[in-house]
Formats: sequence, C-alpha cells, structure tokens
Amino acid sequence: MPPEKSRKEQEKTERGSESDQLMTTQYLIKALKQLQVENEKLRFELRKLKQAPSGKLGIFLIVPGVLALIFSVITESQVLAFIGLGLTFWGALFFFIKPVKYVKSELLDSTAIASYSTIDRIIKDLKYKGTSYYIPPYPKEVYLPEYLKGLKDMIVFISADSSSNMPSIEEMAKSKFLLKNPKGICVAPPGSGLLFQLEKGLRTDLTKLNLESLCEALPKVVVEDLQVAKEMEINAEKNQVYVKIYDSTYQELYDRKKNLKSVHLLGCPLISAIACAIAKTTGKIVTIYKDAVSPDNRTIEAWYRFVEG
Amino acid sequence: MVSFCGRLEMNFPLSLSDITLWLAVMAIILLITSELISSTEHSGNIVIEKTRLRIVALALGTGFMITVIMRIFQPF
Repeated sequence: MPPEKSRKEQEKTERGSESDQLMTTQYLIKALKQLQVENEKLRFELRKLKQAPSGKLGIFLIVPGVLALIFSVITESQVLAFIGLGLTFWGALFFFIKPVKYVKSELLDSTAIASYSTIDRIIKDLKYKGTSYYIPPYPKEVYLPEYLKGLKDMIVFISADSSSNMPSIEEMAKSKFLLKNPKGICVAPPGSGLLFQLEKGLRTDLTKLNLESLCEALPKVVVEDLQVAKEMEINAEKNQVYVKIYDSTYQELYDRKKNLKSVHLLGCPLISAIACAIAKTTGKIVTIYKDAVSPDNRTIEAWYRFVEG
Repeated sequence: MVSFCGRLEMNFPLSLSDITLWLAVMAIILLITSELISSTEHSGNIVIEKTRLRIVALALGTGFMITVIMRIFQPF
C-alpha cells in the first residue's frame, strides 16, 4: 500500500472518530440538559408537596368562624351562626384531615434494591440454582419451648439445587443462615414487613382465615387500604394460586436494566408478602414457581404452588 | 337581648331543626367528597386523607340521626 494512501485513510478514520466523539458529546449534553429540566420539575413538585397548607388553611377558617359564632350569639343572628358554624367546622376539618407523612413511591424501590442486590450477590457467590420456599411459621398462640422459638418467624429457604427437600425443624429453630442438609440459605422474606401491614388491614390473624376468604379480602386491603397497587386479582386453583397485580409500587424492581435475579426468585415485597400470607393461611410451604412481567413493568403476574414438606 | 330585670341574655340563634338540617347537608357533602376524591393524587396544594374525611362524614351522619331521635322524643 502506498504511504500517501495509508496516510489519507488514517486521516479519514481519525476524522471519523472525532465526529463520533463530537456526536456523543452533543448527545450527552442534550441528555444532561433534559435530566436537569426533569430534576427541576421534580424539585418544584416536592416543594409544592412540602408546602401543603392544610394547617394554615385551618387557622384561616377557624378564626373568623369562631368570631362569627360569638357575634351570632351577641346579635342573635341566624345567618352569622350558620356562617360561623360552617367556617369553624371546615377549619377543624382541615386540621383533622391533614395527611400522615407520605413518601414518594420511588423511595420504596430504592430502599428495597440494596437487600435484593445483597441476596443476588450471595446466590451468585454460592452458585445456587434452586428455588425459594416460603415456610409458614407456627401460630402465635402456640406455646413453644425457648429453643424452638425460631419457628415462629416466617422464613424463605433458598435451595442450592432444584430438589425440594426441606430443612429439618431443628435447623430452622436455630435460625441459621447457611444450611448444610439440604444445602441452601434461610432468609427473612422481603415482604415480611408488608405482611404485618396486611394483617393489620385485615384485622385478623392470617392463621385463622381460610384460602377463599383470604382471596376475597386481600385485594381490598392491597388496593384500598395500603394503596400499593391499583388493581389486584387473586385466584386459588387446585394446587396453585394465581396473582395479577397492576401498577404496583414496586414495579421498578423488575426493571430489566437493574437485572435483579432475586426479585424473580423471592418476588417483590408485595409478591413476597402475598406468598407469606398464603403460606400462613394454609399452613403449607409455598413456592413462586413462575412469574411474568409486562414490558412496561406495569403488570406483574405470579403463580404460587404448594409444596409437600 | 336585655331582659326585664336588666340582665344580659344571650341565646344561641340556631334551633335543633336548624342544626339537624346543617348536619344532614354537611354529612352528604362530605360523604360525596370522600367518595369522589382520590387520596393518592393531589390536586393543587392540598393533600387530603380520605379515610379520615369519611370518618368525619359518618360522625356527622350519626349526629344527624341522634338529633332526629331527639325530635321523636321531644317533638316541636
């Protein structure tokens, strides 16, 4: 190859790489500007939320209301009495309906990610390829000696392989993390906190319910009381339970970019809490044998199966 | 306002029937509001807790019922 030609080609490739770099920089600057605009918008929304003036509005209504009531008694005016009563009532109402502390739903995701990535690391390090088994706890009112107290906690057993051998009661009672026979690990379910809230919403101990009544009551608590999903469907079949959740608060955990394997193994906190609830109600070991997520992560489906322990 | 003896008399200008009517109207307004609003979304600057609003509406409804019962035993 003549030296002039090769020099020209080199210059061409250099020019090409320079234009590529320029394009990437331009793209990055554009993306950065877009992110800054979004950030500003979110900051503005947060400021608006923080300044929710229901308290101030309450004072603003109560003061003229009380004054109108006092004047109504002095002047014996019915109109003033009605105005005073209305203003005082609405003022008091604005104090009473002041919301309890709300947090943005994205915060729930970000706090849960750390524990899922930890489980991911453990599973990857131990080279486990098994499934998760939700083992029901003993009912609260059942007396257990001190050395068996560990059996009152809900646990998830992640097996090393696909065999469905369950750990012995002695091993579970010791609240061990690494189990040798069968090989696996025992962790607290990610939905154990949410399970407590579900029980609180249902106003009953789950061990006292049957599966049918749980399937009837659970969607109402999840959608209306806890508001962690917009819609929920739960169907109990012969040996399996099917759950479909629409617009869950934890949907971002299933994001393909995050690539969390343990979310599919243990389920997101909501799926996990439902698994715990089913296990606790039926007293049987439950496994999430399949799950499906829509491309936009808005619909989550899970199939639970009962395992003979 | 001033009685024969020269004593200052102050009476609340609303009668029981007025209060009954007020309670009924307020209870209906609040019940409809609590059904229509969504506590997850906020419109404008005010965030409202739906369950508490419903409790107040039901309390007003109960108040209305009490006044109705009172009027049964103590008619006009």
